Amino acid sequence: MDDELNSLESELRGLRPASVSRALSDRVSGALAAAPMRGANATVHWFWAGALPAAAAVVAVLLQLAPAKRGDSRSSTAVVASDVQLKPFAAENLLVSARDEGLVTLDDGTTARRERLRFVDTIVWKNPRTNASLTWTVPREEVRVVPVVFQ
Amino acid sequence: MTLFRQTSPNSARMEVLPEHESWKTWFQLYGPKLLLCARQWTRSLADAEDVVQEAFVRFWRHQRSLPGEPMALLVTSVRRAAFDLARREGRRIAREERVAADEPQAYFQIPVDGDDRRAAIEAALRRLPDEQREVLVLKIWGELTFEQIATELGLSANTAASRYRYALAALRQQMTLAECHG
Repeated sequence: MDDELNSLESELRGLRPASVSRALSDRVSGALAAAPMRGANATVHWFWAGALPAAAAVVAVLLQLAPAKRGDSRSSTAVVASDVQLKPFAAENLLVSARDEGLVTLDDGTTARRERLRFVDTIVWKNPRTNASLTWTVPREEVRVVPVVFQ
Repeated sequence: MTLFRQTSPNSARMEVLPEHESWKTWFQLYGPKLLLCARQWTRSLADAEDVVQEAFVRFWRHQRSLPGEPMALLVTSVRRAAFDLARREGRRIAREERVAADEPQAYFQIPVDGDDRRAAIEAALRRLPDEQREVLVLKIWGELTFEQIATELGLSANTAASRYRYALAALRQQMTLAECHG
């Protein structure tokens, strides 16, 4: 681009979109208050960190058992189900961010350090026969409270 | 309502906010940019506000913990909401009839502070072809890369870059003409 266009581009970057109206902010506020939020403020405890992969494993087992139960049936449903032989193939917990939220005082008066970690969990199932795959990806937030000992 | 407010170039850059910041802080930062983007795909300011509300609430509830750039996610959400709104034909017609009465106040208010240059840019921008203006807005104020714009609009990155250059050239031409005519 020539200098004149670069200059115009810089001038455009110096313009900021007008603020949103108070009415729109109020509407967003009302909409967010209308239902509980999910996401970054949701605290997922250690229990869930283990429970999620466990639940995924249970689903995988059920998927494998389902065709076995229907094995003696000659219905078309059983034929289709027998193809769904998904087996756990890979699992990954990707740490996206970690933030040290500093020292906190627990209910019993002890001091602890609180850390907030954000993960993206991915579990992949595969059918070895057909090579079909099922991928389950879910964001997860984890809060760790680590006791601190002052010496 | 005017389309733009003058500020320093650096302050227009998007900052990454700590996750504990409230939605109001986010909305203060992203809201104006989203509204400007939404106006490229809607017929009225009122529709654009509806679209931004829907997209932002969806983002804040369900998408802000996802990896990736928030602005790109939000722009995608805004565009989808704008198309959904356009499909709701009955509501659109009713909205347009209502907006027709206050459209001049909502869109064409002339700045009274003597900022002729800003008004000229705004007027020239409105005269650009839609496909050029949306690329320009997404690049300058949406702060998307050409690759992100291409993905968003279903174009190649080269086409997005070309439209951007054409838009700048057309804008310059229109402003030169406007200056010649006083």
